[in-house]
Amino acid sequence: MDQPPSAGAPATPPPLGEHLRSPRLRAAMLVQQEALHAARAFLRGEGFTELLPPLVGPVTDPGGRGAKALDVDYYGHPYKLMTSAILYKQASLRGFPRLFYVAPNVRVEPEETAGTGRHLVEFHQIDVEIADGTREDVQEIAAGLLTHVTEHVWTAVPEILGGLGRIEGDFADVRAGKYDVRTHDEAVAHLLAAGHPQNPDGEIDWAGERLLSLESDRPFFVNDYPKGSRGFYDREDPERPGVLRNFDLIAPHGYGELVSGSEREADYATIVTRMRESGENPAKYAWYLKEARDGMPASAGFGMGLQRLVRFLTGLDALWQVSAYPKLPGVVAP
Amino acid sequence: MTALGAPGLPEREIRARARNGTAEVFPDPATYGTRLYGPGPTAVVDDLDRARIVPPVFMPQRLEKLIDLAREPEFTDVDLGSRTGGFTTRLPLYLSAFGSTRAGSGDLAVHASRQAARLGIPMVIGENMIPVHGYRRAGDATRSALLARVEAYLDAAPDGVGGVVVQQSTEDADSEVWNLLYSDPAFRPLLESGRLAFELKTGQGAKPGLGGMTVVDRAEAELLARRFTVSDVLDPAGERRLRCATPGTFTDEILRQQLRFMRNNFPKARTWVKFHPGRDIAHAARTAWSAGADAVTVDGAEGGTGWAPGVFLDHVGLPLAECLRRIGRPDGCLLATGGMWEGGRAVRALALGATAVGLGRAALVAVDEDPEHGLERLVDSIALELRLLVSALGKYTVAALGPEDLWWPDGRPSHADRTADAPPRAVADPAGATP
Repeated sequence: MDQPPSAGAPATPPPLGEHLRSPRLRAAMLVQQEALHAARAFLRGEGFTELLPPLVGPVTDPGGRGAKALDVDYYGHPYKLMTSAILYKQASLRGFPRLFYVAPNVRVEPEETAGTGRHLVEFHQIDVEIADGTREDVQEIAAGLLTHVTEHVWTAVPEILGGLGRIEGDFADVRAGKYDVRTHDEAVAHLLAAGHPQNPDGEIDWAGERLLSLESDRPFFVNDYPKGSRGFYDREDPERPGVLRNFDLIAPHGYGELVSGSEREADYATIVTRMRESGENPAKYAWYLKEARDGMPASAGFGMGLQRLVRFLTGLDALWQVSAYPKLPGVVAP
Repeated sequence: MTALGAPGLPEREIRARARNGTAEVFPDPATYGTRLYGPGPTAVVDDLDRARIVPPVFMPQRLEKLIDLAREPEFTDVDLGSRTGGFTTRLPLYLSAFGSTRAGSGDLAVHASRQAARLGIPMVIGENMIPVHGYRRAGDATRSALLARVEAYLDAAPDGVGGVVVQQSTEDADSEVWNLLYSDPAFRPLLESGRLAFELKTGQGAKPGLGGMTVVDRAEAELLARRFTVSDVLDPAGERRLRCATPGTFTDEILRQQLRFMRNNFPKARTWVKFHPGRDIAHAARTAWSAGADAVTVDGAEGGTGWAPGVFLDHVGLPLAECLRRIGRPDGCLLATGGMWEGGRAVRALALGATAVGLGRAALVAVDEDPEHGLERLVDSIALELRLLVSALGKYTVAALGPEDLWWPDGRPSHADRTADAPPRAVADPAGATP
């Protein structure tokens, strides 16, 4: 069943107490609990170690798309709340070559994302990294993770999913592990042909991503985003300058992006140059660059948005409906 | 009026325009009928001012306008409206960045913002405002210098015209200036109306190859020392210290990717880029346009409100005229600044390919002379001169200007690829296009 436009849910949550008492939130949290249980079981079975991520640091993932990190005064030093702990994941690889976090993140998203139904200021990611991994290695883990979690929730709490109006048959391809792959170029060409204006040098915009997602009955990877659309840590394809060895995993039926991932850049000089290309000041990344200079393993990894995963499983309209304490972009909430 | 001075600019004339507006375009009317006028002492500031503006005798574009109007065109028929860097503007002018210097970030800048808004021209807000002056802190009711300027502009701007451009330097990137503004509800009216742009600043007109410099006292120096290099070169006792920002490192690939990043991250904001007058300015400008920049600003070596070492002011950087000549026919919107204060220099820059010209120091002097209306009067006088000059050239839009409208006394070639006003079959020198 297709995910209705986010206008299907009220734009903003009711008062927090009322939201916390709602049966719908309770159903979503029971699904989330099963999803987290299944995700941990799957990743541990694949040889991953779970670490707990840091919350603040001198720098965080510079990310993109206009989101801002929150500033923290840390003993007089300007620190940031983690927008993602990617830099720490990479730094951990020598001790933990296969690791994951269930990481809380904060991103002050621009108000324009308030209407996507897919953005919260506070959210969580299942954050995975593999030393010496390739894009194909982590795509296999990402697909396996989604398949395993979906299988588990349909086994453990089918009545809750049914009660939320989910139809088991809609998940057949996910549960069978059937995923499609396309490139960013192909996705752009498809959108342009469909009359959707899409910048070929950039991210696929929210509306375009929703169009692609609505057209598909199974999840699909989008590979090879152009440089300039992603952070400095996504590795550039040495064979194809300007193309990154990265990917998104898009859920079908309009639910959109669940995962972003890539092979990571590990070469010190390339990292510094890429920082400049994304307008970053290398000086503030001193601790990370020291790790890179001392030899950080090449790696690949991804982050799967936990609330997006639960929204896909439950079929709820808006991301705030699957967060106990939702904070929407541009809305000041407790 | 304060003690603000602007050596290198004709400050007395600018102040007179700020007081008297369009009347200063002409000789004193009291002398009319009693004095015979000829050329005054030549007002050559730099190479650009050496070119003469040369109307032709035959004016096919005036004929087109005559047909269009069904009457003889007048100078008031010149349309000065323009699309500047993605904004709709009433005049081919904009307010340049003043930087974070003391002269550029106080009340004068707020007055200038309000008047620029009323004039319907874009305003650029300089780099280093937030790392130096701060933004909005929780529990702090005082507004930052940057927000005060934006609010003044928004209060006075007519619907649909003008726009606000915010620069970001390397140190600004640490403060995430663009992200901060892009996610701030206060900027929503600008974003929603397509009137916000971000300008990537890659260099300083007044000191090409260096970053921004300001003079700070001891207390400020201590506050800023973590973000900037602060040194004691001015005064061994350290009472007044030099605060230096880094210029940032650019290659063509770094520029291309930074511009793509801006377009990707801030899709609702326009993308501007500002260069110092570097010798590879043509390559830099082409790179920026091909990466999707909505405007490229060239800051001539004559420009800049900034504090700069004397050796840079006197010896470093290409003059604006040479920058424009090297760029040739622009592939996109080209903006020029540096020593602009009257219509003649502006017309020369426009004829060499600029879409609009920036007022920097002259605007500050004008608001210093009259905080309420000084800039408006100065701009009125420039606009009148532009109308007079453009119509004298037999043209009625700024975009119609071309290098054929200029004559260089030392026989410099103009761009060969710009349109001349002779028909294509003409083989002889078309009205001075290739003197």
